Amino acid sequence: MAATGLVECSFFIPLIRDANLADGLSHPRGAWQWLDNELFERFGGRTKAPGEYHGFYQDPDTSEQVADQSIRFIVAVSKKDLKKLRSLLQGACVIFAQKCIYLSVGGKVEFVEAKRGNEN
Amino acid sequence: MATKTEYVDLNGQIYAIAGFDKQEREVLDKLQAFASRSPQWHEYENLWMPEVAKLYEPRGLSRRQIIDTPLYRIAQDLGSRLGIAQGIMRQSEDYRDELEHLILARFKTRREFCEATGLSEDMLSHVLARRKHLAIDTLNAALEKVGYTVHIAPLAR
Repeated sequence: MAATGLVECSFFIPLIRDANLADGLSHPRGAWQWLDNELFERFGGRTKAPGEYHGFYQDPDTSEQVADQSIRFIVAVSKKDLKKLRSLLQGACVIFAQKCIYLSVGGKVEFVEAKRGNEN
Repeated sequence: MATKTEYVDLNGQIYAIAGFDKQEREVLDKLQAFASRSPQWHEYENLWMPEVAKLYEPRGLSRRQIIDTPLYRIAQDLGSRLGIAQGIMRQSEDYRDELEHLILARFKTRREFCEATGLSEDMLSHVLARRKHLAIDTLNAALEKVGYTVHIAPLAR
């Protein structure tokens, strides 16, 4: 099998807007469509993993444990395009009203935050 | 939803599918048949995009052009209907969602959008956080400055 030079990246989009940043409601369909369009245009596609991922984390602002359910996206990205993915997820923080988005790049985890100047 | 000659999406946008060529029609029929069996959202989502891309990429369309095709839009809309039915997303679009998308797509920052439209950053922050609304004439005047407008559309059936 030939090497592709691509890195498997996956990220989680919670099913609801952050209750502290926004209203805690589910996302409008336009938000999911926006993400699909961006992933298609920038990377040529994506895979949505089956089902919902249940987890919890400590909110850095309130120190409370927050449980959430997320959709996991998987995208194959060339190393030179990793910046594009991070930039897209910075935008996704705003559109999906999240403080940060969990991103795994080849197994290494990072948390992508919204761009300054675009926060609520 | 769909008829033989047109498709009305959840925004009330009407697509004339009578003009689809044979291959486009085959892809649409396949996707509609699959969606009609109420599959899990991710199953449909992982089907439609490669089907549409496989059709148009050999025709030399760029990804941006593919996104703008009626077939892509209809295929995506079918997925949204499944997502709404399965409680993954909500149907109702708030104009503030669309405003947020516009800012992200067209402007580097909210500040840049505010400078272009004359809206105050403080007001925009409250609006996008769903704490306040913009009056329709204020919204329209601001949008016109950046080449957009507010419009009324029929409800999707």
